[in-house]
Amino acid sequence: MADDDVHRLTLRARSLAELRAFLDGTAVDLGCRPVVRREGDEFVVDVYAPMRQIDQVRSARSASAVTVTVVENASEVGRARQAEVGSGNRFAQRQAPRGLGIKE
Amino acid sequence: MAYLNVDEIEAALENLAAAHPSATELVRLPNLTAEGRQSHALRIGPADAPGTSAIVVLGGMHAREWVPPDALVNLAADLLEAHARGTGLRYGSQRFSAQDIAGVIEGLQVVLFPCVNPDGRHHTQTTTEVMWRKNRRKVQPGLDPGCVGVDINRNFDVLWDFRRHFAADSRVSASSDPCDPQVYVGPSAASEAETRNVVSLLDRYPGTRWFVDVHSHVPAIFYHWGFDENQTTTPSMSFRNAAFDGKRGRVDSAYREFIPEADLREIKDLGTTMNDAIAAASGQGYDLAQSFSLYPTSGVSDDYAYSRHFVDGASGKIFGFTIECGRAFQPPWAEAEDVIREVCAGLIALCVAARTQSAAGPTA
Repeated sequence: MADDDVHRLTLRARSLAELRAFLDGTAVDLGCRPVVRREGDEFVVDVYAPMRQIDQVRSARSASAVTVTVVENASEVGRARQAEVGSGNRFAQRQAPRGLGIKE
Repeated sequence: MAYLNVDEIEAALENLAAAHPSATELVRLPNLTAEGRQSHALRIGPADAPGTSAIVVLGGMHAREWVPPDALVNLAADLLEAHARGTGLRYGSQRFSAQDIAGVIEGLQVVLFPCVNPDGRHHTQTTTEVMWRKNRRKVQPGLDPGCVGVDINRNFDVLWDFRRHFAADSRVSASSDPCDPQVYVGPSAASEAETRNVVSLLDRYPGTRWFVDVHSHVPAIFYHWGFDENQTTTPSMSFRNAAFDGKRGRVDSAYREFIPEADLREIKDLGTTMNDAIAAASGQGYDLAQSFSLYPTSGVSDDYAYSRHFVDGASGKIFGFTIECGRAFQPPWAEAEDVIREVCAGLIALCVAARTQSAAGPTA
């Protein structure tokens, strides 16, 4: 694991205000858009940050009502996923791609 | 199978156009990227003619979001093959009849721009910076060599100057710092080649009435506005009114962004149509919500598309959506295939609905 690896965290709270209070003043990556999803009666957001930044945020907000779960080392997962990227050019022989939809 | 690299995306579009010349046009985008890449879109459907409606769909704006470009290439391949063979299409239990497919291909221009940010995608697929988000705009002289790139989805010309338009304490998701790793808005509105390529498509297809920017991940479908909470009663309280500069973006404040009630109703209906198809394809629907929730956004593509007709009365009204597909930026390919089916099902459902509306005439 590299020091600057980015980890994915899931934050859960009972209100948007609690999430905002937790995140205000931090510079964590809020993913594609700064939006939440609803899961039952909770507001949930995935954020991305290096572990040192995560530790700082946690220590500064130890009394917070927000639950923090480290999901994965997103950088490490992404690097592993590069093995699943096409190499060369699979369409170099002028064949058209075919889709996953079932034609019926 | 595996994720498409940027050369494969371009080749796939070229080959689809060559295989289906009567139903497609390969559209060369006017601006090369910072690393010199030439991008293309694929228009599926009838050639330009007065009164022809269009839907523009984007993918790959954010580099690390690997599924959307593959989904749009897949969508093009499925639509064209099904139309050529005279069949319908099925994703999970979501079925589209042969008549649905023929209606879309023969009556609607479906303009797909699968990889808006090929430089960024290439960077994430070939270097250790797999979490890179922005384009690869070169470093400005005098700055740290690491200060590369602009967030294309903060670079569109709608409330782009966030420092002026939003409240200082709004925590708007934007940065004027060229070294910000995520949301640097760029030196000026539409400064980026990739942004201008998107704008050129909306200009090139004046019949565009629907717009979808496919990103990942939440999963959710988002609709206007991202500036502030919506309101439907006070037209003067809008992004065009400078009197509200410095007041936008605060939660539960007096300012709320105007959206006509009929538009909001239609947008929600179309979003529900997409989401029902996604649920049928995979067994589980996405969230459907306004894009303003945690913090506001500025300079975003979908709001730009919808804003155009407010700013310029000669522009047609475009309903925009952002699909935040799937549950990870770079899921295992097997999981990515399921997300691709969801996205295709949702987008074809929107196209079928758009075709029906198009046949009924222009929106007021």
